[in-house]
Amino acid sequence: MKFKLLLFVCAILTYSKTHAQNRVKLEEKVQQLTDFTAKTSIIPLNLNRFKEYVKSPPRDYSFIVMFTAMAPSRRCAICQHVYDEYLLVANSFRYSQSYTNKLFFGMVDFDEGSDIFQMLRLNTAPVIMHFPAKGKPKPADSMDFERAGIHAEAIGKWINDRTDVQIRVFRPPNYSGAVAFTLLFVLVAAFLYLRRNNLEFLYNKQMWAVAALFFCFAMVSGQMWNQIRGPPFYHRTKSGPVYINSGSHGQFVLESYIVAALNAAVVVGMILMIESAGGVKGTEAKSPQEGKKRRFQSVVGLVLVCVFFSLLLSVFRSKTQGYPYSFLFK
Amino acid sequence: MPTTTAAKPVNGHNQGIFHNTAGFSTLITVTVLTLAWLAGFASRLFAVIRFESIIHEFDPWFNYRSTAYMVEHGFYNFLNWFDERAWYPLGRIVGGTVYPGLMLTSGTIHWLLHALNIPIHIRDICVFLAPVFSGLTAIATYLLTSELWSRGAGLFAACFIAIVPGYSSRSVAGSYDNEGIAIFALQFTYYLWLKSVKSGSVFWSICTALSYFYMVSAWGGYVFIINLIPLHVFVLLIMGRFSQRLFVSYTVFYIIGLVFSMQIPFVGFQPIRTSEHMAASGVFALLMVVGALKYLHSLNPKGEWKQLLVLGTLVAAGAVFLAVVALTYMGVIAPWSGRFYSLWDTGYAKIHIPIIASVSEHQPTTWSSFFFDLHVLVCTFPVGLWYCIKNINDERVFVALYAISAVYFAGVMVRLMLTLTPVVCVLSGIAFSIILELVLREDDPTQASVETEESKNLYDKAGKVKKRVPEPAQTQEQGLGLYARPGTVIAFMILLMLFSVHCTWATSNAYSSPSIVLASYGNDGSRRILDDFREAYGWLSQNTAEDARIMSWWDYGYQIAGMGNRTTLVDNNTWNNSHIALVGKAMASNESAAYEIMSMLDVDYVLVIFGGAIGYSGDDINKFIWMVRIAEGEHPKDIHEADYFTERGEYRIDAEGSKTMLNCLMYKLSYYRYDSGGSPPGYDRTRNAMPGNRGFKLTYLEESYTTEHWLVRIYRVKKRDEFNRPRVPLAKRTISTSNSISKKTSKRRKGLLKNKPTVVKGKKMRLE
Repeated sequence: MKFKLLLFVCAILTYSKTHAQNRVKLEEKVQQLTDFTAKTSIIPLNLNRFKEYVKSPPRDYSFIVMFTAMAPSRRCAICQHVYDEYLLVANSFRYSQSYTNKLFFGMVDFDEGSDIFQMLRLNTAPVIMHFPAKGKPKPADSMDFERAGIHAEAIGKWINDRTDVQIRVFRPPNYSGAVAFTLLFVLVAAFLYLRRNNLEFLYNKQMWAVAALFFCFAMVSGQMWNQIRGPPFYHRTKSGPVYINSGSHGQFVLESYIVAALNAAVVVGMILMIESAGGVKGTEAKSPQEGKKRRFQSVVGLVLVCVFFSLLLSVFRSKTQGYPYSFLFK
Repeated sequence: MPTTTAAKPVNGHNQGIFHNTAGFSTLITVTVLTLAWLAGFASRLFAVIRFESIIHEFDPWFNYRSTAYMVEHGFYNFLNWFDERAWYPLGRIVGGTVYPGLMLTSGTIHWLLHALNIPIHIRDICVFLAPVFSGLTAIATYLLTSELWSRGAGLFAACFIAIVPGYSSRSVAGSYDNEGIAIFALQFTYYLWLKSVKSGSVFWSICTALSYFYMVSAWGGYVFIINLIPLHVFVLLIMGRFSQRLFVSYTVFYIIGLVFSMQIPFVGFQPIRTSEHMAASGVFALLMVVGALKYLHSLNPKGEWKQLLVLGTLVAAGAVFLAVVALTYMGVIAPWSGRFYSLWDTGYAKIHIPIIASVSEHQPTTWSSFFFDLHVLVCTFPVGLWYCIKNINDERVFVALYAISAVYFAGVMVRLMLTLTPVVCVLSGIAFSIILELVLREDDPTQASVETEESKNLYDKAGKVKKRVPEPAQTQEQGLGLYARPGTVIAFMILLMLFSVHCTWATSNAYSSPSIVLASYGNDGSRRILDDFREAYGWLSQNTAEDARIMSWWDYGYQIAGMGNRTTLVDNNTWNNSHIALVGKAMASNESAAYEIMSMLDVDYVLVIFGGAIGYSGDDINKFIWMVRIAEGEHPKDIHEADYFTERGEYRIDAEGSKTMLNCLMYKLSYYRYDSGGSPPGYDRTRNAMPGNRGFKLTYLEESYTTEHWLVRIYRVKKRDEFNRPRVPLAKRTISTSNSISKKTSKRRKGLLKNKPTVVKGKKMRLE
């Protein structure tokens, strides 16, 4: 009984002693980290620092660490993007009002801390992980770029999710769009001003018509879809490249170009036919040579229309299940 | 197919056969338009013939319900109708949140027919309204194209629009929706606008404004008109095509149209308060300035005034633009609303308004859906555009702008294919008309010179002499005439035939499903009708209390109200995002958390759509991820989208699915007691997986009804006294008083918690 009591007292003593030690150590650590953060918003970590600040126990702060490979020799193109966005989040946090010393941002570069990568069994970069104040990181504590994206807002939202610290990302306003627009405007204005005595080209209907047609082809072939959804250029498979997406709800970039070309060929064929027959005004051929040329032109036009429309139809047929009709080609 | 027969006589110059050409071409025109009307009407009847005369889909059910209300209670009661059956507990002011043109149109037809003693049910009028209006659209398109090019082109365009899938997708029998009548109003307004620009008469401008008024009352797409017409005026100004005609027609149209459009309660003061309408007023101001400067110029037509004119116009344009921007910043004018803004910034909706992004018809358009909806027109309309621009005049500027803007919008949103289709028909009509006119007209002189040599000698010597000049070339051209021309004609006939069979096929296969009655086909071609939706709604209307509140995802709100006649929490009028998010949160939470929300919202029944038994892919589990997203948008603390995916980011419902997913309310309500779906029992045929969580019990809800094919499942929410209470025999229902309570009072105290005397203090509850 006495022994038990003694043991208990001993335990309490050691506990409180370690507790006190821990608290001192913790304060020390937090102080150091705060100093680091004052210098740079992202603390570069090597093995020792990583072990001390991130891994070893007395902690009451969360640590967000990005594992990356920034050296050019590593050829990690996305790392730079992620770094920029990550820096944005860290800076926003550091200069925001919600700044606390419960959250720190760190970074491990593969070339400086490959042991850390081994320790955490990381094979890829970049990875952003959250080391919570208590317990071990869960699967959800490493950020999923594929689903959330790499935008700073997404990172901020994820951090809010994991740590309850809300970071309002302050993005330095992007003037590039406005600058480009102004530049274009100025260029066009300057061009018009320089050629103010010779503005005939503006009255060139052919030019306007070609521009309008190009716009129509681009839209009709689904370039807008490409821009919004960002499909691959074409699909590589083991049996060779596939250019046409087999589903009717998807398409590849190359496929849309092909379709635009087919549409354009049909249109060119029809215009050739109309022009060969005399155009809208119905002019007659003036000489036998011209008549011959026109005849040739009209046959070419007809062939263009039939062949390319049939091609378009068969491409469409291959994409649409159960479509029964075709023309010239299966 | 009337298209093919139409071209020849109208475009040809066969004076030889018919002396009265004008009468003959009128006859042809009327015949072709009637045939187009009939063909368009007939090709939209697939759903009625296959199923029955029934209202389709979701929104039409609301339109039908409010039309029936209006017919029953009168127009003014309809305008003041407060619908307490929707958006419980908020309700909805229907009269002020609806475009009444559709209901008024069918109500008027109903009234007219009853005045003539033709007793027809309002439902049949609603079902057949859109097919009838497709004929009117064809006529309006004919008129529009005739103004732009020629009557032959007009007939082509009318025939195209009568059957083209891009338009019949929204106007089959039973799809009783705003778009059905709005496309007619759109085309007719444009026709009248061109007419008024051409003539510069106040009469036509007022007609334009009236037609615009009808359009405003019918569809929110009127914004397209009120931006396109000012754009037309603006471009004409830039091109230096200002005229008195333009001035008169636009100013009259703008003022009268503005006043008229503000009479619609739903539109109200928007035309002077929102950015969507500011282009129209800006152009109006600009036109006034230009008109004034022109007038000054006419007073003193000297050289230096011209500089002043250009400069003044530029300054005025800048001033108007800056004024609009400044007013927007000051908050006088509301900025672009999200729905319109997402047309320009295509990534906007995805980030900020998931409820818009979740609707499948707001997705961008692939090339194959362009081709599906327009077929041969998609590669011929640029030809028409080409010739319109090459032979530009005031009206053709309009059609070019119409084509370019509509093709852009159609590219951004599948739904706006509907506004592209009419202009594509117009331009393709022009293209086909040009080519067939040329091919067929040149046949006539050659025929005349070969066959009717004698008859020509009889009366028209002078004409013969005139023709002599190109004679040698024509003899050369006969080779072309003999082979290439018939080839061309045959090829184009084949194209047109392909087009018409494609249209019929597309309308029949893709656009004629009522979607509340499903059909499945067996291996032997036999057809099985799955009528689960109506079965469930019928059950609701017969077996639940009159004021029962049904919770379901918003897609089914209108149908529950229309067919089940019960109160819903959310419906297809998605005006209140947070309410929808609350329902989404309930569906995404576990049972007990969901029960809190459901009792907060007074829910009596929960209705879920489950397609696992028959392989129906549009069910709630497949839509579930949007519920989670929308709920997360409003309640980021409680709902995390990532929790519903596996660690590898997959959306699964089998044993590997995430725990949150397998325990959420939607999952449980879908798979509760589910043992159908072929072998092995309980297999989910939609997702081809075995559900991961099976054989569970429900605590807070009980199953009330499941339809024949498990498609609709209805659960009753238990009252608080119904769950977690094991049955206790009557004798044991007393609690022995514990020792802690003083024994001074020998009376038993019922209903007190053990060991919690603090609750009792100061509050003597005597239940005996």
